Amino acid sequence: MGRYVARRLLQMVLVLFGASLILFVALFVLPGDPIGTAGGERARDPAVRAVLEKRYGLDKPLPVQYVRYVGRTLTGDFGESYRLRRPVSEVLRSRFWATAKLALAAIAFEILIGITAGLIAAVFRYSFWDVLVTLTTTMVIGIPTYVGGSILQGIFAQNFDWFPRGGQGDGGLDTLRHLVLPALTLASVDAALVARLMRGTMLEVLRADYVRTALAKGLSKRTVILKHVLRNSVIPVVTYVGIAFGGLMGGALITEVIFDWPGIGEALSTAITAQDNPIIIAVVTYGVTAFVIVNLIVDLTYAYLDPRIRLE
Amino acid sequence: MRRTPRPFRWAAVLMVPALLLAGCAGDDDNQDSAQEGTTEGAKQGGVFRIGIIEPTAIDPYNAQESEGMLVAKKLFVGLTTVDDETGELRPGVAEKWNHNDDCTQWTFNLRSGTTFSNGEPVNAEAFKRGMTRAAKQSAASDVAYHMAGIAGYAELHGTGEEGAPPAKATEFSGVTATDPNTLVMKLSAPDCEFDMKTLQPVYSPVPASAGEADNRVFNDMPIGNGPFKMKEPWKHDQSITLVRNDSYFGDKPFLDEVAITILPSQGGLEAEYKGAQAGEFDFARIPPALTPQAKAEWEPRNGFLHKLTNGINYLLVNVANPPLNKVDARKAISLAIDRDAIISGVYKGLQTKATSIVPPPFKDYHQAGVCDVCDKPDIPRAKSLAASAGLTPGTKVNLGYNTGGGHEAWMQAIQEQLQNNLGLKVELQPLPFRELLKAEAEKNASGLYRAAWSADYPSAENFLYPLLSENSLPPGDNRGRYVNKRFDELLSQARKTPEKSERVRLIKDAEKIAIGEDLALMPMWYRDQYRVYDSSKWQNVGIDFFEDPTLTKISLK
Repeated sequence: MGRYVARRLLQMVLVLFGASLILFVALFVLPGDPIGTAGGERARDPAVRAVLEKRYGLDKPLPVQYVRYVGRTLTGDFGESYRLRRPVSEVLRSRFWATAKLALAAIAFEILIGITAGLIAAVFRYSFWDVLVTLTTTMVIGIPTYVGGSILQGIFAQNFDWFPRGGQGDGGLDTLRHLVLPALTLASVDAALVARLMRGTMLEVLRADYVRTALAKGLSKRTVILKHVLRNSVIPVVTYVGIAFGGLMGGALITEVIFDWPGIGEALSTAITAQDNPIIIAVVTYGVTAFVIVNLIVDLTYAYLDPRIRLE
Repeated sequence: MRRTPRPFRWAAVLMVPALLLAGCAGDDDNQDSAQEGTTEGAKQGGVFRIGIIEPTAIDPYNAQESEGMLVAKKLFVGLTTVDDETGELRPGVAEKWNHNDDCTQWTFNLRSGTTFSNGEPVNAEAFKRGMTRAAKQSAASDVAYHMAGIAGYAELHGTGEEGAPPAKATEFSGVTATDPNTLVMKLSAPDCEFDMKTLQPVYSPVPASAGEADNRVFNDMPIGNGPFKMKEPWKHDQSITLVRNDSYFGDKPFLDEVAITILPSQGGLEAEYKGAQAGEFDFARIPPALTPQAKAEWEPRNGFLHKLTNGINYLLVNVANPPLNKVDARKAISLAIDRDAIISGVYKGLQTKATSIVPPPFKDYHQAGVCDVCDKPDIPRAKSLAASAGLTPGTKVNLGYNTGGGHEAWMQAIQEQLQNNLGLKVELQPLPFRELLKAEAEKNASGLYRAAWSADYPSAENFLYPLLSENSLPPGDNRGRYVNKRFDELLSQARKTPEKSERVRLIKDAEKIAIGEDLALMPMWYRDQYRVYDSSKWQNVGIDFFEDPTLTKISLK
């Protein structure tokens, strides 16, 4: 187990280097001069541009820039945002927590809604509930985030005023209120997939011999489902949710923009348009890291949940 | 100097006379900058809520886009201000000012006894301090260039030329505080409109506690001498809160507080408008496509504002390369375009047709009709001009524009009109904004490009010089590559002319050459700005010359 973890961690480091290197090169190859305009629109004063070019080390060759970047990153210095002229770590710090909150809320919704819906659909197979779940999930999967989010916002925030239109709120309970719609938007497609996955897996497990044996032995249906079937069915779901969570931690660009949620996805969106390379590299590299770490945790949890699985 | 519809702010409320001048004949319901109620006995108090996107800076050393300037202009008052009614320069901290015969030396006499909100005195030294702080090379200020005309600027700021040594100076040699209330500025070249430049926030005074430009504490909570002050440091990406500055030397605002919510950069405009509709904001801008809808919804409750502001929407023409390098070809194109049809079809009548580059708010300089081929289409004449200029049917004409600005509809309208009326093969070239600017400046660029411009100072010269002078060729903003020595001579002469009416005549003659004779740029429409506000709660809400809400005048009903 220890060796497995060590090997996975080493792989992670390699993945990170690879990702950041590819990013660096890609950004270098893109047309346009990231510091050539002020405010992204008008030509920058050449005197100012010269100062910034030196300050950001952009006059050095690319390999030198990359090595210096990696070196500084190891000391926690992610450079300065070209657009905001503030340290990247400062710009992204509060945004990171905002995205984390959103991701956690979305996962909570996904698990709750997805597993419950899937369970009901499987247990009451072919009933009205099953049909309802199947139809709803099909529809939801087909709706793009942008549309779904705007609809939710339009109906519940503007028409009915049940939830705020956007922003993070003032902390505590108010933030929870602000979280509902964006988290639901983010969770929707995944929850639908989780429900279908859960339903399918449960149906399979319900057919297994040991379930029949347990029922024959006299255990109530409820006990069997909640104690045995659920635990076994949840494994693929855990894998799926883990991957989804890793992705969510990397920032949900569209949802954050629609709901004015100040997370790293929104920062990335702006940075891409403005060619604010330090922010782009930091956010994407962080996203890759989060994804890889979460996947590692998922794999370890997998082994814990199902002793039949051995990590080689 | 900027190209985009994010203009610099000037405080002039245009009332009825200006409406007549602008020819907004149909708009009898829309008062320019509706001001209900009077300011006499206005109620004190209230928290006014607006939304903006995150500024680059609110510290005057680098406040640059409309959002940053909105805050900086509330926190600081400089040497001069702009009169709301006439758009003319008025005293700020400077009570009076004059210049020598050839406009190379300007002397500002400051009122005494005014202070920053922390008690430090606002004197000539404070102005010199603020200007030096921003001009220093290490500050890397994107707005320091407004001071480029002052002697000693290059030594302080650097030139950015290849291999140039770093700027070593630490003092602004052209700026002298001869006594606490007298500020003298020597210019490196005559500029008889230099006083207008002092409206820029970069000319603001700063207290000694400001330190250098990279003082993060001051960057996030500037201490100024303006009508408002910061309640707390700037909460990045969240909010900026201003409160009334009771030690302000001028007319104090009625509002207790201005609560500014910071919206995401992408979709911020939509969020601002949606916020106003949801009752979250008291004042908001309107996404252009939603203007007719906003008018229908807000006008009945008197919450719809309109103002013709300092800006122009036009088609940039590359005059160096075929097919539009001949004047007759350009005139043919302009005569083949039906501006009225586009304004009523695409904009539902909510834009004002332009027949000049210098817009109506510049009352003395504006010449309606200086472009004599911009008013109504004339297809027969267009055809004959096109034929004589070699712009035959089937000729390819490039039409570039920036994506994401909602310009698709009118670009397609132009394409259709030119194809139907002159048989031209118009190729649309949509590009992201920065790529568009690059494409325009290429040596082999040709054809037409959608463009917009707003002046940095209330001077017509600030439309003509940056866009059409030989000195403004790329990397400057004269991307159409227009060069006309007579034009440049007139502008340069105007700069040296102390007498206003003479200066106005020279600038008007210059526009007659560049636009009337040469049609180097094709005016389309001016800049109409619309806003919505909560009229049930607030009065004296208007749009100031800088397109900001009139925060110093607004009061509770």
